[in-house]
Amino acid sequence: MHSRLSYKAQLRIFLLPYVVGSLILVIIPALATVGVAFTEYNAIQPPQWAGLANFVKLFNSPLARISLRSTVIFLLVAIPLRMTGALLLALLLQSRRRFFTFHRAAVYLPTIIPEVAYAIIWLWIFNPLYGPLNWFLGLFGVNDIAWLTDPATAQAAIIFMSLFTIGEGFIVMLVGLQNIPLAYYESAEVDGATNWQAFWRITFPLILPWILLLSFRDLIIAMQGTFTPAFVMTYGGPNYATTYAPLLIYELAFDFFDFGMAAAALIVIYLVLVMLIAGVLNIVSGWGDNA
Amino acid sequence: MRNIRIGTHHAVAIAITVLFLLPLFWAAGTSLRTVGAPPPNTVTWWPRDAQWGNYGFIFELVPMARYLRNSLLVVALAVPITLLTASLAGFAMSQLSNKAQRRLLIFSVLLLMIPGASVWLFRFQILSWLGLLDTIWALVAPAFAASSPLFVLLYYWNFRRVPQETFEAARLDGASAVMSWRRIALPLARGTTIGVVILTFVLYWSDFVSPVLYIFDTAWYTLPVGLQILKQFDATNWPLLMAGAVIMTVPVIVLFIVLQRFFLSDFSVANLFDRG
Repeated sequence: MHSRLSYKAQLRIFLLPYVVGSLILVIIPALATVGVAFTEYNAIQPPQWAGLANFVKLFNSPLARISLRSTVIFLLVAIPLRMTGALLLALLLQSRRRFFTFHRAAVYLPTIIPEVAYAIIWLWIFNPLYGPLNWFLGLFGVNDIAWLTDPATAQAAIIFMSLFTIGEGFIVMLVGLQNIPLAYYESAEVDGATNWQAFWRITFPLILPWILLLSFRDLIIAMQGTFTPAFVMTYGGPNYATTYAPLLIYELAFDFFDFGMAAAALIVIYLVLVMLIAGVLNIVSGWGDNA
Repeated sequence: MRNIRIGTHHAVAIAITVLFLLPLFWAAGTSLRTVGAPPPNTVTWWPRDAQWGNYGFIFELVPMARYLRNSLLVVALAVPITLLTASLAGFAMSQLSNKAQRRLLIFSVLLLMIPGASVWLFRFQILSWLGLLDTIWALVAPAFAASSPLFVLLYYWNFRRVPQETFEAARLDGASAVMSWRRIALPLARGTTIGVVILTFVLYWSDFVSPVLYIFDTAWYTLPVGLQILKQFDATNWPLLMAGAVIMTVPVIVLFIVLQRFFLSDFSVANLFDRG
């Protein structure tokens, strides 16, 4: 094949679908959403400038306030637990002993089960009358828990089921652990350090950057991941306790056709995420000073 | 002492595996129970008179065959298109100047930080202007943009580890970029390609949001929406609901088992994520 295009021009063409496609399908829609947050827009008539009216409406809406609170509680509880779980599982299952490849595959598997199927399976597990979870708890004398029909336990249930879909974090932690040179542990052993000391002095500081990077990505993924369970299992109920931000945005935009308010909700949520990230970074840099 | 520790380690690992596989096992067991029979008040692990007919029955109850066909069509289009666009972009990225590489890296990381919900409103508008709402292309569209920046980055990291002299030599011999990509780069990226195949398959096979937002014509409904319809049809018919969930899950598990050797074995994990 004789090409008339220079090598570099060909490379640019290779990039075209990715760059232009991402612009059309992701970046332009995301920017347009930011713009429309300051307008009155119902997707049919052209947008009308509305200043901060959407934000005022949002903060005066009890539903939006409940949704924001549920989302923040979900993130503050679920993300630390997901990160701890992924790290503990990676520490336990990084071994090269027999069958451990199989154990690692088992831990990864729930992550790739289709979300709707996964939600329906958990709907059954949480069934207060016949579900396996209450049967299991019953063995320990724990009385029937309402799970998805009580606001407090519904929130706990959604967090609980999210703890099994940590495959991505698990794999990244495995790689992070593999990247720690064995020589560090060998010299710690020579110095008579216990496993516990070796973990806090060697493993944890070296894996921390990976944990941080993962938690930032997990904020976005875990939040987005609430949509399907909330939609399929509870449709935001009971008493809107599981109307997490993505479902709120969906309802505002596609049930009420209030694109402006939906976009404003999105901006507020994104600012909350940025604040959470800044908060985490602040805490972690504090640790560095004390050490 | 050492034996006890190794024994405990194995026992804990087995307990974890059981815990993570239990929901699937329960779903499979429940899917075979007799429809309409009162649910037992203890957990049946595996019903004695397994009703395999439940699986056929849901195909009569809702147009399951059509949902299945649509889902398969979406995957059959999206996976090869993604492999093409992601590997081309990753290849080009690894061959460009350092400055261009850094720019594209920042572009990709920023893309990763955009929450899915923030594109819903206007992707709907753009698909509508393009006349793609209610077509299969509304579901496949992201494949033309490599589906996820992560896939481009996986290829980029893979190709960057190939000594640049290899491509340089081919270029001096008059090879075009297309030839280098196809003859040299792709064969060196089998592990990455398998990883991207699994992840892309899962992404489109599981996609619930896109059909909910962009598909209104029942002729184009896919399995995830079908399962939701089955649930609305009879929300307490657990054997049938679980059968639907199992039908959706089995292809993913089969693909995962066939390819996991490449995906989760000690070396390919490093291949996939090591930025070397």
